[in-house]
Amino acid sequence: MNAVLLSGLLGVVMMFASFLFRTKAPVRILAILGMAVLLVANVLDTKGIHFFHVNTTGFLSFTGYALFFNTIVIACTLIFFLISSKDMQKVGNHYAEYFALIFFILTGIFLVTAFTNLLILFIGIEIISIPLYILTGSAKKDLKSNEAALKYFLMGAFSTGVMLMGIALIYGATGTFDITKMNIAGLLKSNLLTAGMLMLLFSMCFKVSIAPFHFWTPDVYDGAPNVFTSFMATIVKVGIFVGFLHLFYTAFDAIALQWKIWMAVLAALTLLVGNITAVFQQSVKRMLAYSSISQAGFMLFALVAMNETAHEGLLLYAIAYCLATIGVFGIISKMTDYSFDGFNGLAGHQPLVALCVAIFMLSLAGIPLSAGFLAKFYMLKAVIQAGGYMWLVIFGVLMAAVSAYYYFRVIQAMYFKEGPNHFSGISAFEKCVLVGICVLIVFTGLFPNIIFGWMYF
Amino acid sequence: MNITQLLFWLLTVIAIGSALMIVTSKNPVYSVLGLIVTFFAISGHYILMNAQFLAIVNIIVYAGAIMVLFLFVIMLMNLSRATETLKNKWLQIVGAIAGSCLFLVLIAALKNTEIKKNLVEMGTGDIGLVKSLGRELFTTFVVPFEISSVLFLSAMIGAVVIGKKE
Amino acid sequence: MVNLAIQTNLDTSGSYLPIGLQLLFAAGMIVTLMGVTHLLGPKRRTADKLQNFASGIESHGEARQPIAIKYFLTAILFVLFDVEVIFFYPYAVNFRELGWSGFYAVLLFVAFFLCGFIYIIRRGALKWED
Repeated sequence: MNAVLLSGLLGVVMMFASFLFRTKAPVRILAILGMAVLLVANVLDTKGIHFFHVNTTGFLSFTGYALFFNTIVIACTLIFFLISSKDMQKVGNHYAEYFALIFFILTGIFLVTAFTNLLILFIGIEIISIPLYILTGSAKKDLKSNEAALKYFLMGAFSTGVMLMGIALIYGATGTFDITKMNIAGLLKSNLLTAGMLMLLFSMCFKVSIAPFHFWTPDVYDGAPNVFTSFMATIVKVGIFVGFLHLFYTAFDAIALQWKIWMAVLAALTLLVGNITAVFQQSVKRMLAYSSISQAGFMLFALVAMNETAHEGLLLYAIAYCLATIGVFGIISKMTDYSFDGFNGLAGHQPLVALCVAIFMLSLAGIPLSAGFLAKFYMLKAVIQAGGYMWLVIFGVLMAAVSAYYYFRVIQAMYFKEGPNHFSGISAFEKCVLVGICVLIVFTGLFPNIIFGWMYF
Repeated sequence: MNITQLLFWLLTVIAIGSALMIVTSKNPVYSVLGLIVTFFAISGHYILMNAQFLAIVNIIVYAGAIMVLFLFVIMLMNLSRATETLKNKWLQIVGAIAGSCLFLVLIAALKNTEIKKNLVEMGTGDIGLVKSLGRELFTTFVVPFEISSVLFLSAMIGAVVIGKKE
Repeated sequence: MVNLAIQTNLDTSGSYLPIGLQLLFAAGMIVTLMGVTHLLGPKRRTADKLQNFASGIESHGEARQPIAIKYFLTAILFVLFDVEVIFFYPYAVNFRELGWSGFYAVLLFVAFFLCGFIYIIRRGALKWED
């Protein structure tokens, strides 16, 4: 509960900062400090020190898993602030507001990871979505950003409507919004419940861009300002994923036979669409959008498996995927040319930056010794343990091999091609952050037990 | 058929008819007028179900305030340049099929429920009254109620970020 | 003789009957008046009369000009505060019963909105600039 209230309050503080400070530097420092305070507060919450004693009347329950995941989310956002907060200045004049919106989005993520009531899920998803529409359209002079925001808003609002309808049908079938009290096993043959669950499934799939609900993703990720694409492709996506897993694990596990096969089909389809389309992209930013779809396919493995390993795997995946993608986007937003050709010869101009990009790409591709490898390994292992979906595991490995092609294309462009410098420069501090992310990725890949040790502490 | 059932069917016909008018009408202003009629008809339904607070809120917020927004949106658009958007025939057919599928699924879902016997709820069921709803809202549902204020704040920021001249 | 005695119990939908009757009467009145004037009034359609009425001057230009966004900004802020005020209504009805805990709940809600209001004022969102 610490984090939920504090992030809401910090959002308000950032709102006030928009007119209290004339210059941008104090706003940035305040945001970074606020995020650090949030991190500390959440860690204290994990250790049992609560700042606020709130009776949530059975709407929220912060399990150890949710709290640990929230810690990851906050830490990733902190890293995101450290590396990208300067680039946010380029987007528009409302610098402090962007931070405020990000704090509000975090509130939404905390709600979505800890809800026990469908009402909270709905409000959480809305608190995530509405600021995202705004952030997508925040580059007001850029037509592509405008188009992306409008597209995202229309489709997102529609999917939210579908979600509400689903919640209403589920309420009609079970008579409660509380996912722990639904007693679904007694309603196996209820059409009302099945229809409601399907609608919830579709809308959640839309929010995490699972094929065939992914059509908004490439345009929105491509059109939104780089810094915000970085945020919503990583932190927001894994946040909603944890809610997705939590919802189906708690509420609909009793009727898993009905939907598990479809979840597997969706995962396979997402992997196929994401990877095959990513191969044909010419812009690295758009390639990353499709790669984020295919990574979502891997994360969906957790919902096929639904066991302890899947939960651990999703945590690892969140760390690996967020760190690598935030790092890549941090560099992309300092490039003047986002195409693959723009990366030509980067190793010659900026050896350190190129090395970092290479490590991020290797982790995204899932090469051993990186966090990405371990995350994919855990996902596959979870599905094998659950049993019955061997075809999905084989298909997943195959698609991971395909994905290596487009990730290596960037590395190849940087190291084996010559080209003019499209890199606009990077401060020493940001270089340190990049190296830090690389170290974290390798560290997680080598010693995942330490991370799980923290979780079960 | 007694008077309340008659009212129910009358309101249903009005609601569905005007909802169809929203979608089919070429002139956006007619669509908005249709939307207003739909809101009033649905408010009538709420009253028949004894959900008085919802009925009032629906009139004040939706038919009152949201409608103004819709009209502003229409005024923001450049309607004089009659730009009929390109309509893909296949897309329309696919949309119609998908829509009817959803319709079928919903009918199948609602077919076996008990609502059929109990169309309207006159005088029974008091959860929709202002007093009992308020009691629930500020005791049981106080957490989502407070959290929703974060949503309002982000909407305010959004209005300023998107709408304010730089 | 129909019994139209005023119902004492306001908690049923039946108490909305007078409102329904009034609506029906208002709508009927308008329809009758308009219908009757159309039927009874003389009709002389000349080219001048069929033109749009523009206070006596020759009509020119388009009525459908896009308006400035500042109207929309004010309108959407109005909607937000409108929704806030709606929530006072169920609170006011239960004011005594809810006691201090209810008061704190509303206070927190209003405090959040007040922060938003201060923000809007200080950012100049309600300033009517050109």
